[in-house]
Amino acid sequence: MMHDGWRILPLAALAVAPAYAAEYMTVEAAQRAAFPDASAFVPIPVNLSTEARTHLVEVAHPPGARDPRVWRAMSGGTTLGTFFADAVIGKQEYIGYALALDAAGRVLRLDVLEYRETHGWEIRNERWRSQFAGKSAADPVEVNRDIANISGATLSCRHVTDGVRRLLALNALLPAT
Amino acid sequence: MPCCPQPDGWVAQAQVWLGTLVEVALPAAESSDTCFAVAFAAIAHVHRVMSAHDASSDLARIAREAHRATVRVDAGTYAVLYLAQQLFRESGGTFDVAIAPLLARHGLLPPVAAGNAYDSGAPWGGMDALHLEPGLRVRTTAPVALDLGGIAKGYAVDRAVAALRTAGARAGLVNAGGDLRVFGPDAVPIHVRTGGPQGVTLPLVEIADGAVATSAYGGHRKRVDGRWATPLVDPRSSLPIMSTRTVSVVAATCMVADALTKVVALRGRAASAALRAYGASATVLSPATGRWRCMRLPAPAPAAPSRVPARRAALPA
Repeated sequence: MMHDGWRILPLAALAVAPAYAAEYMTVEAAQRAAFPDASAFVPIPVNLSTEARTHLVEVAHPPGARDPRVWRAMSGGTTLGTFFADAVIGKQEYIGYALALDAAGRVLRLDVLEYRETHGWEIRNERWRSQFAGKSAADPVEVNRDIANISGATLSCRHVTDGVRRLLALNALLPAT
Repeated sequence: MPCCPQPDGWVAQAQVWLGTLVEVALPAAESSDTCFAVAFAAIAHVHRVMSAHDASSDLARIAREAHRATVRVDAGTYAVLYLAQQLFRESGGTFDVAIAPLLARHGLLPPVAAGNAYDSGAPWGGMDALHLEPGLRVRTTAPVALDLGGIAKGYAVDRAVAALRTAGARAGLVNAGGDLRVFGPDAVPIHVRTGGPQGVTLPLVEIADGAVATSAYGGHRKRVDGRWATPLVDPRSSLPIMSTRTVSVVAATCMVADALTKVVALRGRAASAALRAYGASATVLSPATGRWRCMRLPAPAPAAPSRVPARRAALPA
């Protein structure tokens, strides 16, 4: 069917947009990338008081998915810096990321470990989706993670900035080295 | 293990720059920390000099000072402004990077950026007030507030690819939130993901060396003062476009692809001449009651006069 330059795409060519999901680095790989000279990463327990938690929420909305995991990067007896593994959840996305700070608390490196779009809209649009039921098996496109190299609507990373602000505030609350 | 959405045997790293997720992917056999580092450093550099929010960026200095004295800018800023100026002329004024005050009015940019209050009532100049002079110098005949959101991401991708090549990478892929470029001996399939709640993912093209950029506005609408707004404003009407279309452009460089998506989104078929001028092509996807309609541009050049009605002669092969 062609009208005025427009063409209706055959259904077989379509795949319902999979939620974009990618894992880039493990926590260990990000630790090595940020502190190649570290001989050990010592976990630091995060025991925040209610007061401190309230403070962190004031510093940056929305609050993190859960408390970040924190390590001190050590080289022998010397502290090289602090490493955080954290996640932010936005309206559309879940982003796991790692922040490395040097011993003076300055940002050394920020890596995205994992990016995942949330599924809210898919559930809401169940009826629309059902039109494609049974169509995807023969599709040239595999849904989910098999799709490489996607050019598409810009992925949002707004909340990572808030997350970094929160981790910098948290760093100030951690016990001194 | 790192890496999932990339071709088999490739590894990827991702960082947040330019307000989006920037992925760099390399064949595992050739990837090195140095390659990833130089690619992200190139992106970070573009982020710094072309930020609309940072008071020390080239854009902030242009807005503050260029109407009083010439401002020397980064070679990258100059290259981007050069193409922006060229496209402004070639698109009949639809590609306009001097409409930051207008975006602020629609709530799509903060009212104050880089120390410049867009709503101060100051008479902001348009693209005709912007002059590029030799020696990477910029002069304006009135204060000009620039926003390179529609072109800088593509340029950053190009810089990262150049940095990877200089570092010795023979193949790679850089994707800044959907504006991507690949290089190397093997063709890589590229898919396009449409925006909005009815999104689909379609195979678009296979390229070994080239760029694809996509603009989709359906998923980026937001409510401002009781009206819907999208990040693309038509300078002719001063109103945001409400289209649910997804526009993908394939071009040699990502800067050109990125910028041309806006020209196609605003001008539709009338963008064919601009696409041809840059050796680019566009795919426009439009939702139609549960299906997607697809249009390819530029339409084939009109053949010699024939008895076939013009409309049918213009159909894509």
